Amino acid sequence: MTMTRPRKVFFRRRKVCKFCADKIDYIDYKDVKLLQQFIPERSKILPRRISGTCATHQRPLQQAIKRARHLALIPFTTD
Amino acid sequence: MRTYELIFIVDPRVSDEDVVTLIQEYKQMISAGGSEISTEENWGRRKLAYPIEKLTEGKYVFLGITSQNGKTSLPEVEHRMRQNDKILRYLTVRTDEDLKRAARRKPSGRGPAGTGGAGTGVMDEPVDDDLDTGDEV
Repeated sequence: MTMTRPRKVFFRRRKVCKFCADKIDYIDYKDVKLLQQFIPERSKILPRRISGTCATHQRPLQQAIKRARHLALIPFTTD
Repeated sequence: MRTYELIFIVDPRVSDEDVVTLIQEYKQMISAGGSEISTEENWGRRKLAYPIEKLTEGKYVFLGITSQNGKTSLPEVEHRMRQNDKILRYLTVRTDEDLKRAARRKPSGRGPAGTGGAGTGVMDEPVDDDLDTGDEV
């Protein structure tokens, strides 16, 4: 174990809540473009742990996505 | 004062004139129930994200409703929509509470308000979803 490998340095970007940063207070279910950023390929709701959204904004976001799904603005699933 | 949003999707096979009469009918019901229609938007034909009743398109109609005393005929309107086969989907949302909450949050935020805004998120960086590559020892 004498070999010393140069440690790879990872720059992990600090995740910030998009809604806090952009000062979006009311998350509109009609704003498909905005919601689409939080539904990856399989159309699942992107978890907070990955998107960095704060709890205060994830809750209305989730509600908005579900409303938009009901109105067929965004899909429930894609296969 | 309460505000509501009512969106419904009409069967695309229904002609535009019939859609207008349909809207008229619902608007009459709403105003008869003691509320006002603040906005009316006809989004027209839109592709559905998934088929509803084997249809891939729908005609969207949006109504903004305000009620001064909190009394509305929305339950009746919803009931009628449920029974109408031409209505594929409908959704009523009460918005005043959420908007009020959003307005309260705004002044407390630091920095100038009104950067960004809704719908301008296209140019933003995509969310970073590959977190880490496994680093072996």
